[in-house]
Amino acid sequence: CVQSRLTLHVRNDKMLAIVRKQLRNHPALIPLFFFIGGGAAMSLLYLARLGLRNPDVCWDRKNNPEPWNKLGPTDQYKFFAVNMDYSKLKKDRPDF
Amino acid sequence: MAHPSQLGFQDAASPVMEELLHFHDHALMIVFLISTLVLYIIVAMVTTKLTNKFILDSQEIEIIWTLLPAIILILIALPSLRILYLMDEINDPHLTIKAMGHQWYWSYEYTDYEDLGFDSYMIPTQDLAPGQFRLLEADHRMVVPVESPIRILISAEDVLHSWAVPSLGVKMDAVPGRLNQTAFIASRPGVFYGQCSEICGANHSFMPIVVEAVPLEHFENWSSLMLEDA
Repeated sequence: CVQSRLTLHVRNDKMLAIVRKQLRNHPALIPLFFFIGGGAAMSLLYLARLGLRNPDVCWDRKNNPEPWNKLGPTDQYKFFAVNMDYSKLKKDRPDF
Repeated sequence: MAHPSQLGFQDAASPVMEELLHFHDHALMIVFLISTLVLYIIVAMVTTKLTNKFILDSQEIEIIWTLLPAIILILIALPSLRILYLMDEINDPHLTIKAMGHQWYWSYEYTDYEDLGFDSYMIPTQDLAPGQFRLLEADHRMVVPVESPIRILISAEDVLHSWAVPSLGVKMDAVPGRLNQTAFIASRPGVFYGQCSEICGANHSFMPIVVEAVPLEHFENWSSLMLEDA
């Protein structure tokens, strides 16, 4: 609320100067920027990881049409493995 | 199974459900603490005779009430994400069972070694033996060996159903034309009840799921018996 009144209708390079001035008078805004900015950055990074690394996503229909058919038996495609060591898994499916 | 006037979860019968219980305790404790604090502040605000009209802002308290909730949320989020990924792990199962939802019964297929399949209908209330549970018992139980990772492949033959057993911490939709996979480990021998969890017509409330976890030799005897009867 303190910020919105002052930063509407202003050019981008002046916005940084205005925010810096507000921070000097209201340092309580620093944790707010940190957590909101950090949260937004983490969400965007995870979305980018999903878009680029998820085997369910197909970007190149000509050269890589069905990436979900190319999963190996030791692939870990989830972000985090709690208890499972995927490199120890064996392949027990027939090739086709 | 659930008991009358139950408020909390059923006792855990699988390691994943234990983790879910502990996480729920953790998150609920945080919620109780915050609610108590807020209730106390409301009562204090409403019953005070003090008035102060001249405080406009304060940087210190703003920092505190930004930092503290952010830290509390991180303390809730980290265990939550850990359990989320734990629940999705593929854990090298010993046995694969197919559970197919029909209107209005489940059918189970154990096809790893031989072709074993059977239907599981609810026992009607008038046919219950003394000591059996109304609307929860089934004529053929899904028998599994105890302490073995089991993979369940779930689908449906007609409309949407959902295969759920709360004490094992398992729920997965049965979608016609789609194969869903979930897994569990029964930590102790016992009988675990669940009910169809996706509206599927007139008898949606009358197609229960009964999982019976037994030692491996008993499981082998049971499957030989079932194969002979078929």
